[in-house]
Amino acid sequence: MKTVLLLEKLKQVLQKLEKISQKSLTHPILNTILIKAEKNFLNISATDLEIGIKWWALAKTEQEGETAVPLHLFSSFLNFLPNKPITLHQKNNYLLLECGPYKSQIKTLPPEDFPLIPIIQNKNFIELKTADFCQGLSQVAEIASPSSARPEISGVFLSFQKEAVKMAATDSFRLGEKTIFAEEKGFSAKGMEGETSLIIPQKAARELAGVFGEGNENFKFSFSPNQIMVESQMKETSHIETIFVSRLIEGEYPAYQEIIPKKHDTQIVAPKGEFINHLKAASLFAGKINEVTIKVNAKDSKVEFFSQNQDLGEHRSSLQAKAKGAPLEISFNHRFLAAGLAQIKSAEVIFELQKNEGPAVLKPLGDPSYLYVVMPIKAS
Amino acid sequence: MTGEELWQAVLAQIQLSISPANFATWFKNTGIASVKGGEVYVSVPNSFTKEWLEKKYDKAILKILHSLDDAIKEVKYIITRPSALKIDKRKGEQSWLAQDQLEFDELKVDRETNLNPRYTFENFVVGPFNELPHAASLAVSKNPGFVYNPLFIYGGVGLGKTHLLQAVGNEVVKNVSSKKVKYVSAEKFISGVISSIKNQKMEAFKTQYHQVDVLVLDDVQFLAGKEKTQEEFFHIFNSLYEKNRQIVISSDRSPKTIPALAERLRSRFEGGMLADISSPDFETRVAILKAKAAERQLVLVDEIFEYIASNIQKNIREMEGALNRLVAYQKLQNQPPDAQVAKRLLKNVVLAPTRIATPNKIISAVANFYDLKEKDLVEASRKREIVWPRQIAMFLLRNELKCSFPFIGRRFNGKDHTTAIYAYEKIVREYQQNEKLGEEIELIKRLVYET
Repeated sequence: MKTVLLLEKLKQVLQKLEKISQKSLTHPILNTILIKAEKNFLNISATDLEIGIKWWALAKTEQEGETAVPLHLFSSFLNFLPNKPITLHQKNNYLLLECGPYKSQIKTLPPEDFPLIPIIQNKNFIELKTADFCQGLSQVAEIASPSSARPEISGVFLSFQKEAVKMAATDSFRLGEKTIFAEEKGFSAKGMEGETSLIIPQKAARELAGVFGEGNENFKFSFSPNQIMVESQMKETSHIETIFVSRLIEGEYPAYQEIIPKKHDTQIVAPKGEFINHLKAASLFAGKINEVTIKVNAKDSKVEFFSQNQDLGEHRSSLQAKAKGAPLEISFNHRFLAAGLAQIKSAEVIFELQKNEGPAVLKPLGDPSYLYVVMPIKAS
Repeated sequence: MTGEELWQAVLAQIQLSISPANFATWFKNTGIASVKGGEVYVSVPNSFTKEWLEKKYDKAILKILHSLDDAIKEVKYIITRPSALKIDKRKGEQSWLAQDQLEFDELKVDRETNLNPRYTFENFVVGPFNELPHAASLAVSKNPGFVYNPLFIYGGVGLGKTHLLQAVGNEVVKNVSSKKVKYVSAEKFISGVISSIKNQKMEAFKTQYHQVDVLVLDDVQFLAGKEKTQEEFFHIFNSLYEKNRQIVISSDRSPKTIPALAERLRSRFEGGMLADISSPDFETRVAILKAKAAERQLVLVDEIFEYIASNIQKNIREMEGALNRLVAYQKLQNQPPDAQVAKRLLKNVVLAPTRIATPNKIISAVANFYDLKEKDLVEASRKREIVWPRQIAMFLLRNELKCSFPFIGRRFNGKDHTTAIYAYEKIVREYQQNEKLGEEIELIKRLVYET
């Protein structure tokens, strides 16, 4: 095997693969990536047996072939190289790297041992705008709970419907939902019938957003009962650039729509930045259950923040905001509130509260596509 | 040779020819799912393993299988979910109970059955007031469909109807997991009917109910006046009943007193077992409080239990609310409240303003119940449809508020106190003989105290 390509490209993709390729003591082949020189292309594969990625880049191949190299060493080494074309040359059990004045060789493993990445042979797919989808996904992915006791909610729920794609995640204390509407964002479904919904593992959701995140193009989704496959195309030519596969979490996602409150007793509209500042100041004084109390009085359009801690002291501050509805006092875990606020992109935030310890809702002003539901802390 | 033995033989041979790392990676959680004719179906945990076995080891596996049994001509690989997942499902839920951070209740509910696992027979306190419904529910859950069908449980708010209903469902699921149980509140049922009419999916809606073995319908009184829903429910009811499927229903009043309920439904409800939950007596209330306190790990002196039990009489949910206040106190102060503190904490709950009846409230509730104007009730009229409610109003004024008879007479347009005495005694007499009247009065009282 012998091939030449731009170092820049190689570095970019290796960064993305680092989180996927896992450290396995029992099975060293899982620490490696598979490098394959094809005609005009270089192909790199990585997998942890849950997620798999195949990536292609244009390369000048002099001799076709494949090899498996330890990812960590390979990628650390590339960081020291000058930004010039790099030559990869497989000789016996070594991969020779040549780039400017640098010449080194890395010991390789037999490529036959590298896991095969299962590709879905399905002509039906859904096409989506990459950037919108990945941004939406990252807005909910962190909420999912990693608990293995409830596998259904350990992942991110995706529902592909006729007029929208919905994504949701919950850890049973809070829930985030993002909707991508069809007409504005231009997604098209070819050969898909009715609704499809599935649960992807949290790690896969994170990596999916990370791997495709920056692309402006569209990407294609296809499904099989156990698997999801996403593929994108190269800008320069019609060849595939990236294929991403992940297992799905089996089970039925809870009927989460029922969690989203249909009504509220009090509504606040506040500038997001100030809201976050007040919350963070109050959080410094919060006790061990992270409790921050919020008091709303619609009459004088004030939102008060209160927290106290036996060891540290107590804190009180108030924020001018538009408020309507009944006066209310309610406590939250400040981490949960801050996590929700961080995903809100608008300048002003709507915060809807309920009496009797009902769930509260955070949403951006003027953007119906995102909402974040959070349960309060029991009043004491 | 069974599938398991076959696969053990394959594993034993194949481990000799490949590296231990490969063996551990690719043959973990594999097995033979089924053998049909010449085809063996091998179950694998994920698509990576499937791909690998198909492409790399298929020949070796087939060769070994063929040597064990020459009928085997082909091996196929299917992805199955590891069965271990379901077992530890319940574990995680328990540990959250003690925390203050509230979570979404909806997530605990099983999606198939709509049942909340929190409600079981084990944590249901039985007293004289609910002995019959409890026994009937227990019998039904042991032998669904063949005793007491339908089972109709009725009683006031917060007395444990939903708990019993869900317990029946949970018990059936626990005992016979193949039985399909469906719990649905009348409200949900109604919105289901409406949306399936809108989306023209009535058939799908019906089949979903026709397939269940135990149908539990909560708060059936909300079907009142919803004719189309009643009709759909009637058909579902009939088809289930004919197939000996169990139906359990709850309501806040007996079928006779549910207004605007189709006669054919009413008679069907009455055709099964009717069991009512009345208000718990003092001793049971104390027992319930103790059980609930133990659940919350709250240690209290008996005096407090007795104080709560003697002050909150009609509603178990309210008693729970009172306990919750004490739990909050205990958490904050790290010590259980003593009797003095408890009484202070519970002042608001016990003396809630909504619980006080006034003469005006009683009169307007009676007028409301019999669909009259308040003015008619107090004016001098001898029409039969007015005289009867008026006498009931007088009875309630005397019975609930201990008003003097002259006061009652004056309240009704200056009637003589003897009229009030006559009315009171008449109703007392009737009350003892006429069961239906008792129920009417119970409903009026609820109107007075709960709104």
